[in-house]
Amino acid sequence: MARGTSQSANSAATTRPGVMAPRGSAAATAGMRRRRLGGGGTSSASVSGASGAGSNMLRFYTDDAPGLKISPTVVLVMSLCFIGFVTALHVFGKLYRYRSGAAV
Amino acid sequence: MGGGFRVLHLVRPFLSFLPEVQTADRKVPFREKVIYTVISLFIFLVCSQLPLYGIHSTTGADPFYWMRVILASNRGTVMELGITPIVTSGLVMQLLAGSKIIEVDNNVREDRALLNGAQKLLGILIAVGEAVAYVLSGMYGSVGQLGVGNAILIIIQLCFAGIIVICLDELLQKGYGLGSGISLFIATNICENIIWKAFSPTTINSGRGAEFEGAVIALFHLLITRTDKVRALREAFYRQNLPNVTNLLATVLIFLIVIYFQGFRVVLPVRSKNARGQQGSYPIKLFYTSNMPIILQSALVSNLYFISQLLHRKYSGNFFVDLLGKWKDSEYGGGQSVPVGGIAYYITAPSSLADMAANPFHALFYLVFMLSACALFSKTWIEVSGSSARDVAKQLKEQQMVMPGHRESNLQKELNRYIPTAAAFGGMCIGALTVLADFMGAIGSGTGILLAVTIIYQYFETFEKERASELGFFGF
Repeated sequence: MARGTSQSANSAATTRPGVMAPRGSAAATAGMRRRRLGGGGTSSASVSGASGAGSNMLRFYTDDAPGLKISPTVVLVMSLCFIGFVTALHVFGKLYRYRSGAAV
Repeated sequence: MGGGFRVLHLVRPFLSFLPEVQTADRKVPFREKVIYTVISLFIFLVCSQLPLYGIHSTTGADPFYWMRVILASNRGTVMELGITPIVTSGLVMQLLAGSKIIEVDNNVREDRALLNGAQKLLGILIAVGEAVAYVLSGMYGSVGQLGVGNAILIIIQLCFAGIIVICLDELLQKGYGLGSGISLFIATNICENIIWKAFSPTTINSGRGAEFEGAVIALFHLLITRTDKVRALREAFYRQNLPNVTNLLATVLIFLIVIYFQGFRVVLPVRSKNARGQQGSYPIKLFYTSNMPIILQSALVSNLYFISQLLHRKYSGNFFVDLLGKWKDSEYGGGQSVPVGGIAYYITAPSSLADMAANPFHALFYLVFMLSACALFSKTWIEVSGSSARDVAKQLKEQQMVMPGHRESNLQKELNRYIPTAAAFGGMCIGALTVLADFMGAIGSGTGILLAVTIIYQYFETFEKERASELGFFGF
């Protein structure tokens, strides 16, 4: 019974799923499919290292790089601000055109 | 060694200015991941409907019409560039690193960071370059019409949209979301297209009274309004100028076929060398390279179309230019041109079954081209991306896995029996399905459907894995 339930239990926690990642997913599925029968799995940690950076063109940014650190919330807020900014531009553009049209 | 390393090190001064999403320092719960993914998707969708401020017109031929599907871009909106910058930079860096022009040691932390930085920097530069090129080439009206202020505003909007896409993609990939941003955006764009074609409430007057654009809505509309029900049904199923019910059914059929084929795999048993009893299987899927062959194939074809169209507009009449492709404005409007001669014509899908019967050579050439291109790209891709038999053997060896009944040195040979065949044959199958979808007139082109289905399938797999990993903690 333990075979079925424990399948892919702890390796999944360390491997991030790779959509569109032929190699990453190939390595990951090998890890996923491994069944643990005995006690501590000695080699299960190595699975996550298999899909390193640059292994797939559509999977960049797997590592931490020194850079302008921003949290995910900031990214979302930034994008919303951008959307707001463009909308505001539209609104002001309309108002401006309306006013200058009235003045002439 | 020296030259390659210096190229990468050029990026270092810029590294501290590049935006970088923090890696999740804890395991993000499944629910939270879904929320992040949905919000990112929402932002993307809003951006792809929000018109750019300051543009004058978007009429005239659209040279990028063919690329829009795979690049998730929408004309005249903030997402005009879509994921072009990110995909192009990724492709370029991948090819440079794969062909060893830039030497990257994946085991060195700094090298990986530099490569990521270089990719991002290149992406931003491409976004800036494309934005400037779009504005200067007069896609939104000439610069004189726009005014310098507006032109600069457009460039800023496009660049910032590019940076946002890069950040969103990074956000999703760093473990806050599900899958990758790029595939999510492509799939959404295509699905939106299909849903719209099926249920669009827009009416179009094409001489026979107002007709609904959406196939399903048109079916009911015709059935209710027309007195001759049989004629109405035939009209709904076979109308040529607008999406019809046959197209919709073809789309559904292709969806089902692809999902059925996704399950085909060869399972190789493997077992751990040092932990006794640890055993499992290594599945080799029929679609080993997944949707990569069609992405590469359509990238190739759309670039060829783009060059051919530009050349044809400038130098039509030249023998070589005509050999590459002759273009004519589509009779159904929409500002798109269709190829009518040259190589570009022969690598385009025939528009209908009748067209296929009229030009059997065209259909045959298209079929052969698609199959061989997909098989070839698939085989190349496993080498470039490092998923060839040798690389897989190395990975398995690193994980101390062996195949029972085979010696360790035999592993690569054993894998070599399956992987290249799976890659080539899988690529061919993908190509054949694309052709089938095109011939049956599936909505959103064969390439688009195939991309969408494979991406959605991968998402399902991801969901299952995530769920299993959450449940797994209880199972222990």
